[in-house]
Amino acid sequence: MPAIPVDMVIPIFTGGASSRLEADVPAKFKAGDSVVARNINPSGHTRLPRYLRGKNGTIEKDHGVFGLPDTMAHDGGESAQHVYSVRFSAQSVWGDNASPRDSFYVDMWDDYLDPA
Amino acid sequence: MNGIHDLGGMHGMGPVNPETDEPVFHEEWERRMFAVLMATFANGIYNVDEFRHTVEKMPAAEYLSTSYYEHWLHSLEKVMIEKGQFNQADLEAAWSSVSSAEEIA
Amino acid sequence: MSDHDHAKPPSDTALRVKALESLLLEKGLVEADTLDALIQLYEHNIGPKNGAKVVARAWSDPEYKARLLANGTPAIAALGFGGVQGEDMVVVENTPDVHNLLVCTLCSCYPWPVLGLPPVWYKAAPYRARAISEPRAVLKEFGVEISDDVEVRVWDSTAELRYMVLPRRPAGTEDLDEDELAALVSRDSMIGVALIEGA
Repeated sequence: MPAIPVDMVIPIFTGGASSRLEADVPAKFKAGDSVVARNINPSGHTRLPRYLRGKNGTIEKDHGVFGLPDTMAHDGGESAQHVYSVRFSAQSVWGDNASPRDSFYVDMWDDYLDPA
Repeated sequence: MNGIHDLGGMHGMGPVNPETDEPVFHEEWERRMFAVLMATFANGIYNVDEFRHTVEKMPAAEYLSTSYYEHWLHSLEKVMIEKGQFNQADLEAAWSSVSSAEEIA
Repeated sequence: MSDHDHAKPPSDTALRVKALESLLLEKGLVEADTLDALIQLYEHNIGPKNGAKVVARAWSDPEYKARLLANGTPAIAALGFGGVQGEDMVVVENTPDVHNLLVCTLCSCYPWPVLGLPPVWYKAAPYRARAISEPRAVLKEFGVEISDDVEVRVWDSTAELRYMVLPRRPAGTEDLDEDELAALVSRDSMIGVALIEGA
């Protein structure tokens, strides 16, 4: 591939390139669904952190369709699927030391989730 | 992978220690490292997932004891070789060349 | 194929980067003036002043704020900001009931078009390990104490969505114009590790 010329710096970097895919893929979940993070332990790339595996959360929002890093990092193609914002209660993951009021939200792919 | 980069929830990492009025770059080499990463990434030679995974595969002790842009340096060298853009011999020749230039200077 | 041991890289990081850069230039993979333009863009042009303008507009214009919270990317683009590492923006609002905090536990994802490049502490192990599991302790290190009846909500950017906090408008700022409001907005308040004091 040819080098990026200087006059393309501003267009490329202020334009960007969204990772969102125009793919007609059905969503497995919808806002309000109870889900559990799968206990996957791939030796390759994943964006499912260890602290979430096996934990229960709630779908907050469907962000639309994106490629799956687990396959894209390894020449495995896009595996286009929905990404959701998933809400977890702090205590459910961190135990009683966490504040009962606190929460966190993690973006998760369909392949990372099972219905709970 | 269940690597050292997967830090969420770990203990023993110490205080956050923010620097007041931190500059965007601390060293000239950081500027250059940032720029070459951005330029090669925009070129489409590798994708962001491949690059992130290359960083993740750094030996754990090295990951924790080196800086962010040192992670980029380690990983860009590796991913360029993986993608066949140059080989280890080319890289070693470049190292040798800058080192001798430095000695002469 | 040579059977010698691989040579070690120069111990001086600056030399090692110089070697990589010259190799990339030699192979025609990068151009010298492109590299300089990239440094100029991210060191001097793109930074948290962008995000501060977004915040000031949201504070001044309720209709803009509603649009921003519903769909961050086009609202931010309307002020002229956008691009790499900010193509899919989500803006989260601090309220009397909720305090938001951003982290990328797995690497360093950060909304470049509105905040510029992330500070070292954001990308380093302590923040990434602790912001998700003990946000209140981390906030205390930054001098911020959130009361127990407020929900602390941490956002871990694991995907390509990029987040920005819309901090609360401080009291006593009713008479300030947008430029004056923007001057109050710190980078740290848009990550969630700082509150904005009044004018």
